[in-house]
Amino acid sequence: MIQLHNVSLAYQQDASALNNINLNIGKGEFVFLTGPSGAGKTTLLRLLYGALTPSRGQVLIDGQNVTRMTPAQIPLLRRSVGVVFQDFKLLHNRTVFENVAITLEVLGWGRTDIGKKTMHILKQMGIESKYNLTTQRLSGGEQQRVALARALVNDPKILLADEPTGNLDDANKNQILNIFKEANIRGTTVIVATHDRRLIDQSHKRLITLVKGEIVEQVEKETTDNDQTF
Amino acid sequence: MGGRAGFFLSRAVTNIRQNVFVNVVTVGTITLALLIVSLFLLIFVNLESAADNWSERVQVTVYFDKELTLLEQNTLREKISALSGVSRVSYVARDEALKRFKSRLRGQETLLEGVRSEVLPTSFEIALKRSHRETASVESFVSALKRIPGITEVQYGEEWVRRFNSFLNFMRLIGGLLGGFLVMAVVFIVSNTIKLTIYSRRDELEVMSLVGATPFFIKAPFLLEGLIQGTAGSSIAVILLFGLYEGFLHNAGGFLTFNPTASGLSFLPLEYIGGLLLAGAMLGFIGSLTSLKRFITV
Repeated sequence: MIQLHNVSLAYQQDASALNNINLNIGKGEFVFLTGPSGAGKTTLLRLLYGALTPSRGQVLIDGQNVTRMTPAQIPLLRRSVGVVFQDFKLLHNRTVFENVAITLEVLGWGRTDIGKKTMHILKQMGIESKYNLTTQRLSGGEQQRVALARALVNDPKILLADEPTGNLDDANKNQILNIFKEANIRGTTVIVATHDRRLIDQSHKRLITLVKGEIVEQVEKETTDNDQTF
Repeated sequence: MGGRAGFFLSRAVTNIRQNVFVNVVTVGTITLALLIVSLFLLIFVNLESAADNWSERVQVTVYFDKELTLLEQNTLREKISALSGVSRVSYVARDEALKRFKSRLRGQETLLEGVRSEVLPTSFEIALKRSHRETASVESFVSALKRIPGITEVQYGEEWVRRFNSFLNFMRLIGGLLGGFLVMAVVFIVSNTIKLTIYSRRDELEVMSLVGATPFFIKAPFLLEGLIQGTAGSSIAVILLFGLYEGFLHNAGGFLTFNPTASGLSFLPLEYIGGLLLAGAMLGFIGSLTSLKRFITV
């Protein structure tokens, strides 16, 4: 599903954000990306939704070479990639419903279908009763669930999450982690960038560790009893 | 396509509802800016029309020391009328000349006691078309006039025409400069206001881009919003200008006292109002377009 071949990226001439990354993530995999601040986690994710172009190397998503995409093709790539962030990136002057429906409006869905599908995903996230509230009136955990609903409402092939639990308490972290796992079970490839060790330890998923723009360690998925319980 | 247009329009209207403050600021800025421009235009158009009335006084007079026969009058009238730039030719007989003289000396008629019309010259008064009232045009007209046999004495108030035209050119230059600076200032202020309002909504642009919206899909509602803001701003400006005009400007006869025919200011002609509305719409649209270019990156 995702392949990176000898990918390097330098923001400035002297500082290299990513250095010769080779990575292969299969369809339906769940991967944690970890490492200290400035290790290149966010940069790597940004390459995967076409927000950055590598200085060297190739990035392939579902067989398509992102590095060779024209600006007009990037929006089409993003329709199959859901993205969530630590700061949620919600539109606070719009309701929960409108924040989620925006993804389907972009795809040109009809009003009725948008209504049904949006309410369905809000129900899955457990926030259907708040559909008419503006997002400012929600707690951090609820806001992240709205952001996740927006990212998942069109059943994307890939879900990218950049420090998704950074602003959440433990109860909310678990809820968000469960949503990731459920999306993964439905076939979405999930990549979560985090340095939350507890989140990684309790998930038993493939782990890739980045330090100074290089992959220094890869730990394959461990199957445990815990893994089956959510 | 119609469905998409409807979607973009409803999105634009929803955006206006959801961002009332920034929209009020933008429409207010466009209104004020265009009100200043339209007030300037109103004054400029009225000054031009006053100047036009004044330029009616640019007149060439051909004097004769005898009364012309009807045949002579007609022959000369035809020859004069054939010259380019002539709008009206009228013959002033001796009796008429004396009558005018007396009316000018009203209250001192005794001075003219014993004066008979024979001592006064007869004349042709020639009014020129508006396009021929410039100093150079008048001079070339007079030299063409002097080439007509039988015409020897021509007067046209050279100094007055020269001064009047200098004044007109000066007024147009100042008007053009002021108008130019005003339009530049308006474009600068409005485009920066729109830029700031779009900057305040950059999150929206980012989210739309993240979920796979094409640049056109992101821009279309903003451009429609700009168009609506511009049209609303210019419409309010025209309504306010009309209110100001009806309120007191149309009575401002004293403002143009140097214009003998003015009874007050006249309102802007329809084509100017159309131009203002269009300018407002374009200001909103182009302001949004250029601002969006800066903020939308794939």
